[in-house]
Amino acid sequence: MGIIDLISASLLLCSLPFFLAGTLGLLRFPDLYCRLHALTKADNLGLGLVVLALMIQADSFQVVIRLLLTWLLVLVAGATVAHLIAHQAQQDGHQPWRR
Amino acid sequence: MSVVTFRWSRFILRLGGCLFLWWVLTGGRASSWLIGLPTIALALWVMNRFPQAPFWPISVAGLLRFIPYFLLQSVRGGVDVARRAYSPTLPLDPEIIEFPLTLPAGRPQMFFLNSVSLLPGTLSADLNGTTLKVHVLDRKVDPQLGQLENRVAQLFKCPLGSEK
Repeated sequence: MGIIDLISASLLLCSLPFFLAGTLGLLRFPDLYCRLHALTKADNLGLGLVVLALMIQADSFQVVIRLLLTWLLVLVAGATVAHLIAHQAQQDGHQPWRR
Repeated sequence: MSVVTFRWSRFILRLGGCLFLWWVLTGGRASSWLIGLPTIALALWVMNRFPQAPFWPISVAGLLRFIPYFLLQSVRGGVDVARRAYSPTLPLDPEIIEFPLTLPAGRPQMFFLNSVSLLPGTLSADLNGTTLKVHVLDRKVDPQLGQLENRVAQLFKCPLGSEK
């Protein structure tokens, strides 16, 4: 196992707690708005780490760009969908949970 | 400010962008265009149905300054929300704040809205005219939205404060 493989493996391992946190937040957080925070931010970071791990394994520049684009598209889609859901919740009069 | 109608230059630019995106994503496999071309046609049709806001090009220098800031903030945002999700006491103190947007309409505003949702502890919930409702996870943390607005303004080289 080369040094590149080692770095890739570490990055993949680092991504796991964030994917878990996204799901944990979805289950534990008290309302829709807080759950959207967990899903957008934690999963995006997890996916970013996976993409980074795969990028250093890529054997062509096109694959690197493709991975980067995949991450960016997921970022944009995630943020947009989160906003649309929050927007609709506002329209429907959902009050945010307060401590 | 006049309402912009169909323009060929914009159409060609979008068509080129979509074709390039699909080509990169699929590695240019011939059979993939069977899905790609109808999807692109649909995408262009949808884009054309949206109200056309004035076009703000991205400045390369602004982009180079924005990327490291964005990456760092994304990591901070992910770590912050993960910490709250794992903590047994669930340290959340959310509320909805109102932020007066001073970025011009169109791409700068859309870019700002999406960035807000990816930054630590903030989620753009609703845009009403120039007032953005932002859901914050912890009201004791300063969301630093003004700083983000400045950076987005640098990115598009657009003025702040002029509501057009």
